Amino acid sequence: MRAGHVVAVGRRVLLQIRRDPRFIGLSLLVPCAIVVLLKLVLDAWPALDRIGVDAGANALPAGAFVVHFVAYVLAAIALVRERTGGTLDRMLVATFRRGEIVLGYVVGFATLAAVQAGLVIVTIALLYDVPRLWARLPIVLAVVFLLAIASIALGLLVSSTARSEGQIFPFIPLVIVPSLLLSGLLIPFAELSWPLQALARLVPLTYAEDVLVPVFRDGSPAADRLPYLALLAAYAAALLAVASLTLRERE
Amino acid sequence: MSTTRQDVRAAVAFERFRKVFGATVAVDGLDLRIPEGSIYGLLGPNGSGKTTCIRALCGLLRPTSGTVRLLDGDAHADRARLRSRLGYMPQRPALYEDLTAIENLSFFARGLSVTDPETRARELLGLVALAERAAEPVYGFSGGMKQRVSLACALLHEPPVLLLDEPTAGVDPLLRRRMWSTFGALRDRGATVVVSTNQLDEALHCDRLAVLREGRLLAEDTPASLLDRGRARVTLRRDGRVETFELRDYERELPALLGADGVESVRVERDTLEDVVLRLVEEGEA
Repeated sequence: MRAGHVVAVGRRVLLQIRRDPRFIGLSLLVPCAIVVLLKLVLDAWPALDRIGVDAGANALPAGAFVVHFVAYVLAAIALVRERTGGTLDRMLVATFRRGEIVLGYVVGFATLAAVQAGLVIVTIALLYDVPRLWARLPIVLAVVFLLAIASIALGLLVSSTARSEGQIFPFIPLVIVPSLLLSGLLIPFAELSWPLQALARLVPLTYAEDVLVPVFRDGSPAADRLPYLALLAAYAAALLAVASLTLRERE
Repeated sequence: MSTTRQDVRAAVAFERFRKVFGATVAVDGLDLRIPEGSIYGLLGPNGSGKTTCIRALCGLLRPTSGTVRLLDGDAHADRARLRSRLGYMPQRPALYEDLTAIENLSFFARGLSVTDPETRARELLGLVALAERAAEPVYGFSGGMKQRVSLACALLHEPPVLLLDEPTAGVDPLLRRRMWSTFGALRDRGATVVVSTNQLDEALHCDRLAVLREGRLLAEDTPASLLDRGRARVTLRRDGRVETFELRDYERELPALLGADGVESVRVERDTLEDVVLRLVEEGEA
């Protein structure tokens, strides 16, 4: 693993993102727009208070979902382009190693995800009444950072099965719908049946919500959730390792 | 000075190389040695296995059976070590379209650990006559311009072996000639240039040619020797009558024809390399 090569890939990925205004719009403005939209919908729904749902307590777990979704889809599309355009082969022949390419992608997209997460958190802080947001910021940032890495790895993994950008689309709901339903964001994880819990363990968002939901919804101390943060880190690392195996030259 | 093949080390050697994709046999037991310091043409119609051969040399494919040797190693097993010594130009340009020409080149130069990637990138853009377009994104380039950027990418680290997959596709005739003179200059500096093409007129620039069809070798020779396999059509005007002959070995047969009495005029049409290769391909089909 050569650091210079990782940085070269990361820089190139960021340069490409910068050159594509649609990409920047999609990745930075859309997540904030979703957060705003959610606020407008929740405000227009007075029944929410009566059934005891606190929008502020759910804003960050929902924000994590938005970051996950965008990082996953964008990384998948970027790598499919790389595979179908022949530039992946060219990188490999130009002596870039698989691990360097994967980590370079992580550097590039995690930088994007960091900016994105910053904007989402600021939007949430402005719109919602989130209890003790600033005190809990370190754990939020840690979760979002690790979740972004897992999302990128998942995107890279999915890209290996697609032969064109269009073939990515069926994979979007395949990850996103279970994430939404099973991660603990909408339905408490403990209330799922065991087969659904097992299924939920496959999607990265579950590991992030393991940390965020108890902290923000139930007021658990952040320190209590550190083991789950470690689990998220392990999951992200494992997914990255698997994703790097799929970069193997076609044989 | 003429050198026979045994005098020169092989830069590339295919030994019983076979590659199967699913139900398709792309290359079927190819034996081929490519001498160091030559321009070697892989010639054949689409689907003849040229691209498979080049990708196997890059280590991008593992042979189904047989071996592919490049320089002092196995093209697939030793690819990590060998790749710094080969330049690869894929069939399609394979560039980052949103990036400028210079950004594309600098990126691949960093991969190849070229010292001062930017300067080297500028040098090569000069070589392919695109210095003035260096700062423009590649998506605005014509097909031929993209091919030139792609060629520049393959030359960044002055590799001893160049693998060029249809390098002149979509390039206009003038530039095509310039590209071939670049390949010649590289060969003269000792590089081995392996070029696949289905442009038969270009094959004349190669030192040796392999004619492939459906993954099999039909012929392997110098362009001149291949041309000698061609036939000649001789039209004679003798005593007011026109007669035509088809000669397989016209250098030997023509004098006898001309020696006859009453020959008033003669016209000789020799097969072009294209005729020879197309006949080889057709005979292979039969």
